[in-house]
Amino acid sequence: MNTKELTKGIFRENPTFVIMLGMCPTLAVTTQVINAVSMGAGVLFVLLFSNIFISLLKNYIPGSVRIPCYVVVIASFVTIVEMVFHAYVPAVYKALGVYLPLIVVNCIILGRAEAFASKNGVLDSALDAIGMGIGFTLALTFIALIREVLGNGTITLMPIGSFSGVITIPVLSDWPVRTMTLAAGALLLMGYLKAFFNWKTERSAKKRLEASR
Amino acid sequence: MKSFLKTAFVLFAICAAAAAVLAAVNQVTSPAIAEYEAGVVMSALNEVSGGYTIGENHDVQGNPHVSYYYDLLDNVGSSAGYLLGLVTSGYGGEMTVVASYFADGTLMAAKLVSDSETPGLGKKAENPSYMNKFLGRGAEGNPIPKAKSELSAVDSAAVSGASMTFGGLSRALSAGSEFVKTTLAGEAVPQAKRGDGK
Repeated sequence: MNTKELTKGIFRENPTFVIMLGMCPTLAVTTQVINAVSMGAGVLFVLLFSNIFISLLKNYIPGSVRIPCYVVVIASFVTIVEMVFHAYVPAVYKALGVYLPLIVVNCIILGRAEAFASKNGVLDSALDAIGMGIGFTLALTFIALIREVLGNGTITLMPIGSFSGVITIPVLSDWPVRTMTLAAGALLLMGYLKAFFNWKTERSAKKRLEASR
Repeated sequence: MKSFLKTAFVLFAICAAAAAVLAAVNQVTSPAIAEYEAGVVMSALNEVSGGYTIGENHDVQGNPHVSYYYDLLDNVGSSAGYLLGLVTSGYGGEMTVVASYFADGTLMAAKLVSDSETPGLGKKAENPSYMNKFLGRGAEGNPIPKAKSELSAVDSAAVSGASMTFGGLSRALSAGSEFVKTTLAGEAVPQAKRGDGK
């Protein structure tokens, strides 16, 4: 098993912090942790199955119609996710709203189909999808955690049994930084996180260069 | 010609396979979705009924905003008002609303039942407090506000960033009020239909 294909999407080629793909849902749904995790799970499912099917069909799809074919495959899996969420987790379906069907045009999915799955085998394509999907989910969850804690003073998870699903943080819930829940707060946070990841990448590159000398 | 046919066949085969898979998933999920949607509407109707008994359902044809209405009956079976199912459009597409009115067109209560509005902006209309700006209005001389300029400073700030959602809701609620005043006003609830509420 090629673990490099699996891990690259989580850190080195993280779709959100490094490749900067899928920014619309990243900024839009990261107001609550549960929304971020659900969106990440939806994207992971669609990415995994679309990569597998596109890799399987790559030799049969004529080059001139490859993009429409990829879109049909991706849109079908997105519709499946939409119907399943609507039927079995309606609260999450409601919270994700218009961003759930918009997974169809998420650049990560079409980008991996075109750049990876259409040129590689099924196993590598599946590992690439899992890595990228986990990387996207982790990035969304991390952003949502910071935004929700600072912006609302809460952490919203799935309600289980007597647990309502909402953890209230003292002090912050009384004095929240409301900007963090707005689009401006999301952009501000993305800017700081991107700067941090750039600094980390440059520092690692410098270390590698010094070690090779 | 051969390559053209091959391309067309591949596209057709992929679309046909996708349609078959989606039909199968729809077959499995549609009962659960229908049950959930019915539950949402029923709970919204009960929520806005203001404690009155919900009477018989009437479908409305030819009105762009009002799709159905129920009679609201008090505890002696007299007409107390009407409960309307309203359809309008916002930023994300269709929105459905249920609203209760007194016979003079005054809005008693309203709830946004379904929408695809933007989280953090138009979605705020799902909060029960959002409808407060419309409540108690709609009678002759006290119309439902249709523009932000007709709202207080606080209410106007609350709808900023989601003007299309506010516009859609105010249009539907105004249309509902007009429907009650012009079409339903003076209509007595038939004796035979009384008491067959929830």
